[in-house]
Amino acid sequence: MTAPTPNQIKTIAELGGLAIADDVAARIAHAVGPAYEGFKTIAGTLPMDIEPATFLVVQNTKAVK
Amino acid sequence: MSVTEPALLSLTEISDAIAQKKISSREATESCLDRTAKWQPSLNAFMSIEADAALAAADVADAALARGQSKGVLHGVPLAHKDMYYDEGHVVTCGSHIRRDWVATTTSTALQRLKDAGTVRLGSLQMVEFAYGPTGHNAHYGAVHNPWHVDHVTGGSSSGSGSAVAARLTFAALGSDTGGSIRLPAHFCGVTGLKTTVGLISRAGAMPLSQSLDTVGPLARTVEDCALLTGLMAGADPLDPTTSTRAVPDYMAATRASAKGMTVGIPKAFYVEDLDDGTAQALQDTIATLKREGIHVVEVDLPDQRQLSAACQLLVVTEAAAIHKRWMVERPQDYGPQILARLQNGFGISGVTYLEIMRWRGPALAAHLAAITGVDAVLAPVSPAAAPTILETDVGNSLDAEAMIQRVTRFTRPINYLGLPALSIPTGFTASKLPIGMQLIGRPFDEATVLTIGAAFQRATDFHTQCPELA
Repeated sequence: MTAPTPNQIKTIAELGGLAIADDVAARIAHAVGPAYEGFKTIAGTLPMDIEPATFLVVQNTKAVK
Repeated sequence: MSVTEPALLSLTEISDAIAQKKISSREATESCLDRTAKWQPSLNAFMSIEADAALAAADVADAALARGQSKGVLHGVPLAHKDMYYDEGHVVTCGSHIRRDWVATTTSTALQRLKDAGTVRLGSLQMVEFAYGPTGHNAHYGAVHNPWHVDHVTGGSSSGSGSAVAARLTFAALGSDTGGSIRLPAHFCGVTGLKTTVGLISRAGAMPLSQSLDTVGPLARTVEDCALLTGLMAGADPLDPTTSTRAVPDYMAATRASAKGMTVGIPKAFYVEDLDDGTAQALQDTIATLKREGIHVVEVDLPDQRQLSAACQLLVVTEAAAIHKRWMVERPQDYGPQILARLQNGFGISGVTYLEIMRWRGPALAAHLAAITGVDAVLAPVSPAAAPTILETDVGNSLDAEAMIQRVTRFTRPINYLGLPALSIPTGFTASKLPIGMQLIGRPFDEATVLTIGAAFQRATDFHTQCPELA
């Protein structure tokens, strides 16, 4: 996973229903780029059977000190 | 017990004093209003001050008590809360221009449970616009000021809650914590704040920012006060199906339990890096105090917190953008520049990335729990430094605004992603008398343990009793 470029962000935003100017797309790329970088080692590595609700399963597993 | 100025009492002290008719609700309410009249011009902590209505409600509470009728443990106690908890018939601005005149038609479950316990409404407290910012700036209503030093920020987004509780304008206040919004104001303003486990307290009727991460919790003067409020608010709510159905523990009993023999873990990395001198010293002093109280302190090797922090950031921006999309399209001019810019960030995240982040929460939490085997709670600074100035954090929507925000929240965001409880307690002051807080991070739904350790710390120290003075 790589951080999206301003052009890619412009496309994603328009698909999401928000038209944005070039400078806004550039600012968004600058703002979210480090977070993409931080998450890239996780992206694409998760096993198939994990779903968002797995969080609740783990959360409600009896705590063991 | 200060009967001459009831507002200086803690929540548990004032509720006991009113119940025993040592102090009337009117006296308590007048005391808070008197202090508010003096402090508000310097702090801007209140969004609305409803003096006449509060005094009338206090008189009703006193009359009921005279007849032997008490609504509950907070009978007649005046409180004000972050202006994002819907209260039927009252304007709830959410710190925004968009909802400047919006009148709630329902009451939030958390607030209703406190009302059912007998509270009196003082008014509402300032906050960051739509709870989306960690410093306390607000483009529409002005920054809230730190009562310890009015040139410094309060932290946000529960800015008014932190400021008003610290200045003793309200005995406690609700905040909300999605990325640090209870713990940061607690840390910067020198009060106690509890970020609760995701699912412990209903979010029904609380303005949403990020539905996966939003939590309701109190800011107060003591751990005991936080325990009292959390116990009243926690528990299943049919209006919020994400709330847990497990029994609510006796949190007040937890504050009276011994912490001797418990074990606190200190992270080997991340939370101990790049601390300013005052914060580093406060961490060492806190460790020393815990040891003196018979608590074991060990090092823990946590998973990479930078990944958690990144995941939290991407999750919040996406959910916040989805929540606000309609207004972003229809009335973007009505947002403050920084809030609009941050909301726009969510439109840079793909659906697949969002779902990967949601899917990773379970494995990430499992890895964290495995890493803290053998410890009862983890101790870490809330932020690398004490409160910065309002001026140096007034970055608007500049290119580097997000970087500043991420620096301030770097120690809080990982905990939100994992959905864990974390208690922020005052642990010291800088040389210039700015408060420094630490967070005790627990296991899911184990608020009781962090309350036990936090209460033990407060029995051994007096940081939480210190009160700022009006310059």
